[in-house]
This record gives sequence, structure tokens and C-alpha cells, in this order.
Amino acid sequence: MASSNNSASRDLKLQGIAASPGIALATVLRLDERGRHQFYYIDVSSAQVRREVRRLNDALDEARSQLKNIKVRLDEELGYEHSYILDAHLLMLEDKRLLAEIEHEITSRRVNAEWAVRSVMDRAISIYKQVEDAYLRERTSDLEDIATRLLTILSGHDQFNLSKLDQDVVIVAKNIWPSTVAELDFKHVLGFATTSGGLTSHSAIIARALGIPAVVGVTDLTRRARTGNQILIDGSSGEVILRPSKAVVRLYLKRREEEEKRTHKTRVTGSPGAAAEESTTLDGVQITLRANVELPGEIASLRRFGARGIGLYRSEFMFLNRLPDLPSEQEQYELYRSLAEASGEDGANIRVFDLGGDKLSLPGFEAEQNPALGLRAIRLSLISENIFKTQLRAILRANAAGRLRVVFPLISTINELREVKKIIAEVKSELTEAGVEHNGSLPMGVMIEVPAAALMVDLFARESDFLSIGTNDLIQYLLAVDRANGNVAHLYQPLHPAVLRTINWLSRAAREARVPIELCGEMAADPIQAIVLIGLGIRTLSLAPPSIPLVKRAVRSIECKAVASLMKDALKLGTATEVEDLLKRELPRQAPRFFSAPAMG
Amino acid sequence: MIERTVTITNRLGLHARAAARLVRRAAQYTSTVHLVREDTGVQADGKSILSVLLLAAARGTRLTIRADGEDEMRAATELVELVEQGFGEEISDGVF
Repeated sequence: MASSNNSASRDLKLQGIAASPGIALATVLRLDERGRHQFYYIDVSSAQVRREVRRLNDALDEARSQLKNIKVRLDEELGYEHSYILDAHLLMLEDKRLLAEIEHEITSRRVNAEWAVRSVMDRAISIYKQVEDAYLRERTSDLEDIATRLLTILSGHDQFNLSKLDQDVVIVAKNIWPSTVAELDFKHVLGFATTSGGLTSHSAIIARALGIPAVVGVTDLTRRARTGNQILIDGSSGEVILRPSKAVVRLYLKRREEEEKRTHKTRVTGSPGAAAEESTTLDGVQITLRANVELPGEIASLRRFGARGIGLYRSEFMFLNRLPDLPSEQEQYELYRSLAEASGEDGANIRVFDLGGDKLSLPGFEAEQNPALGLRAIRLSLISENIFKTQLRAILRANAAGRLRVVFPLISTINELREVKKIIAEVKSELTEAGVEHNGSLPMGVMIEVPAAALMVDLFARESDFLSIGTNDLIQYLLAVDRANGNVAHLYQPLHPAVLRTINWLSRAAREARVPIELCGEMAADPIQAIVLIGLGIRTLSLAPPSIPLVKRAVRSIECKAVASLMKDALKLGTATEVEDLLKRELPRQAPRFFSAPAMG
Repeated sequence: MIERTVTITNRLGLHARAAARLVRRAAQYTSTVHLVREDTGVQADGKSILSVLLLAAARGTRLTIRADGEDEMRAATELVELVEQGFGEEISDGVF
């Protein structure tokens, strides 16, 4: 073994939160240098002062032109909603007071440009940190973003030109910043591994949207990983292995190969064949696979992955960057219209803003002890009637261009649904009175996420046009587990019999009431769990577009009747492990085509 | 020198988007532009986004706009108009 002398530092295994599935093996590219840039204090002579001022001005020019380019790319690739923050960055780089202060620092103290930038920006940041307004305090991250961009340019590091990478990398950083994401060359970025962030962090969302593996919340990673190290990340298990040995690499590459073999035909995502294939079980039951959409850039991928419309559009995601500012009615209208057009006959379900009160900086809103049980989602919409009405107006207007439906999150009592309906009726008559073009036939659905709503589903079914089960929240509330909390994450068990019984109860109630029921959530994106859901009577699943081909392949390899009877047995079991054992034993027998390779991990 | 007093009426106050609009507009005048919070007396340079943001002026805050220079009249009038129109936030909101 040639490299045995290095073996001490090899195979360093770290555990994080699995944020986006897949296995990536590549070279580390550390991005935290941007955040904690090395800088030096240098006394300069009076003759050199002029040179430092020139360096500063050149760096400012460069930074401004970088930001302008990023803005153009971001507009094109992810949609204009994301570029908003860059406007503020640009204005800060044009801020005469700030620039004069940095220049003054150079000339009066005779220091190098790096030192001047760092100390002036630090002062500005500390002023912002003292402001009472939570929104303003958050602007310090924008100042930090600018400072590090300037410092990077000043130090002449070309390796951070992320749009022109010449080798495959896994980005290792504390966080993936909005402006960094915009710069990435997605051809060469195979994955993300970050030290902070949870499943709903920006990095995790982007990774899932792009279909690349990501692990977040990996403690200690930035301290240990160096640019140029080899790194292996498994976005399905949350494992990160630094400087993997040949044996470990072989192991994981084999695992990946098996995964790819299972999905072989469908992974060829460009193939219109796979996308056009029917999503039907062996005994002819049609399973509708729809798309979960968060970013405008994903709309283009609907057709490529063969999605039948949009089962869940998370309307708040596009605007997370710019909160507490919310988009205007016109801006929302244009977005919803593009969804209506892209989804055509299959239609799109728009979930109204699912935000917490903290995100909107509501006057008088105090930090909550327990936000998951606090003022958020429909509860917030109902007390912020202007925001809610603006959104509903935009949806009703955009609906003139296609088949939109609207879904309400976190409903826990029928009263909320009735109130929502009253507001929609008001908005409709206002639009009619004003003579504004809209389509008033807008089907309304309730998200079943709260156990109370699940238990009352028969009554909800009478008053809604359709139902949508949101498994991520339903499981969290049913099992009282926050899966982003490492201490209890192991208790987050989608296959817990209580979860299966609830879904079974919901699908039966919907069938009896003859109300369509759909299901969205990560369960739908896991082929095994998707089979479980089909066995429980669910026929419409909504999932991240890149996961559709794999789930479709699972659908095409099972017999619906057989999995239904398998689930009857599963519903009698006592633990998630027992359910898993049953599936491991029976599914490879029932669907040998899908499970030919060593089946489940 | 000319002074005008206005009340911030848009929902989010002088946050990034509104501040950006105000600063971009103020930069078009040759006159100096200052904003003074009536309650605290805190003053900001109307041509500096960092300075304007630090006013932390929420909805309902009264501001004095002070313009000084050749086009001070136009500056004061147009900036007052911008604030009173809610920084165009509502205007882009379609028909309502």
C-alpha cells in the first residue's frame, strides 16, 4: 500500500443530517475562506498609500462587475426573485460614505487595503448588530458577504471563480450563501457539505432542487477539511468521509453503482422514453406522480422527469431571501401564471404561504418558545388579511391561464377552513366588481398535517374539493419528534405503525367521501415508502422531480393488490423495525425486478 | 435649504427594498439630501443605503427630508412623493 504512511488521517468519518440523497466523491473546495478570510496588517509608506487606494478601487470595480454578472445569471437560472438581495449588495458597494470611510482608513492610518476593508466593515457590522430591529441585524450577513468578496478579490485568489471550475468538487462551507449558490458551476459541483443548517436551510433546499447530494449540520467539518482533500458524502445516510481509503471508496462506489443499476433506465433523465412511460403497476393501477416545486428554475424540469403537473408549490420558498418584504400582487401573479402554463392540463397546487410570524417581522411579534406549535401558516394568513388577500387575488387572476388549485397548510379546525372560504368569496367578488379577469372556479384543498385534522378527515372531506397529506409535518406532530434535533432524530420514523394507520385511515375516509386525496412529503420520494403508500390506498404522490424516475420504476415493478395485502399485515405490527423487516422480507419477492441488487440499506 | 416632513406609510417601513428606491432616487439630485427622524433626531445621508437603513424607520415614523442645493425644491418634492406613494410598493400591486 503506497499511501500507508498517511493512514492515520484517512477515513475520518463525520455524521451530519442527510439533506439531499446520493453519493458524491470529489475534491473538497472550502468556501469558508470567503467568510473568515485571512488578512494582514501592513504599515505602508506614504508613497504606497496611493497604490493601496488604487487597489481598493480596482477591487470595488471588480466586485461590482462580479455582482452584476451574478445577477444576470441568477435571473436566468433561478428567476428574478433571488436576485433581489444582490441589488442591496450592489448599492452597498456604491455607498459613498462607506467607500470614503475605507479610503480614509487607508490614507490616515497608512494601512493596506485589506486591513482597511476589514476594520471599516467590522465597525459597520457592530453598529448594525446593536440595532433593535431584527431585520436590520440580519443585514450584517450582507455586509459580511461584501467584505469577504472584497477581501477575496484583494488577495487575488482566482480559485474562487466558481463559475469556471475545472474539476469536480464537493463544496465544504459553514453555509452556502445566496450569492455563492448563484455563482456555482453546477457541472462540477457534485455536492454540498455544511457545518450548520437543517433540512430547511437554503443549502439543503438548493441541493434538493438541483438533485445533487448534500449533508448539512456536520459538526467540525470546516476545521478538518482542506481544499484539495478527497471527500465522500452520502446524502442518504448523512455520512461524510474525509480522505477515504481505497477500500472505503470501493465500498461506496459499489453502493452507488448498485443504486444506479436499480435506476438505470430512468436515470437517463434526458431520455423522453422514461419520462413518457406510464406510471402504472403490474396489475394496471395508475399512480399519478406529481412534482414538488420550490424554485422557478425547477419548472423546466417537470417535463424532463415526466411529472404530471405540480402537486405542491411551496409559495413562500421563492421569497425567503427577501423577507420580511413580500412580493407584490403582480409579481406573484406572474409566477403563478408561469406555473399554470407549465403544468397545463395536469394543473398545479399552490400552497399558500407557510411561514412563521418571526419571518415577517410582524409588529409586536415576540419570539416563540415553540414555533412549530405557534403562529404560522394558515394561522398567520388569517390574521394578516392583506397579505393573504394579495396572494389569493394573484392566484385567482393567474388561474385564468390554467388549472390552479389552492391548498391551506396547518389547518386544525373546520372553522379555519370556513374562514378561508369566506375570504376567498370576498376576494372573488372584489375582483368581479373591479372587472378584473380571473377564474373563480378554484378548487380548495386542506393539508392534513395536524393529527386533529386527520381525526376529523371525514368532516373536512365534506367541505373541501380535495385533501393533501403532508407527511413531513404529520409525522412530526404525530410522533412529537423534530427530526432536525439530533437527540431525537432516531425517533422520526415514517414507517411507525401509527403513521401507517393514520395514512390508511385518511385514504379510506377520502375514498368513502369520494374526495380526491394526494400525498406530498419525503415519504413519497423514497421508493420503498412510496410502495407502502400505494399499499395503503394512496394513488397520487407529489415529490421532488429528480426522484420521480426512481419511484416510477418502483411503481412499474409492483402489483398493487399484493402490496395492499402486505400492508394489511403491516398495520398489525408494533414497531417501525417490524414493518421494515416485513418489507425487506417480502418486497424483493414481490418485485424482483426492482430489488434484484442487494435490496435495502 | 428646504425641509419637508412625511410619515412612512408602507407596510414594511424603510427596509432594504424601500431604502434602495429612496437612495437611487436621491442620487439623481445635485443637492445634498438628509433624513431626520422626528422622534429621535437621528440623521441619515439620503444617498447612503447603509445610513438610511440605520434609521430603522418603521411604518408610522415621521421623517424630515432636508434638501440643500440647486435642485433642492425638486428633490424635496419628489422624495416626499415617493414616500407618500409607499415607494411604489402598492403601485406595482396591480389594480388595487
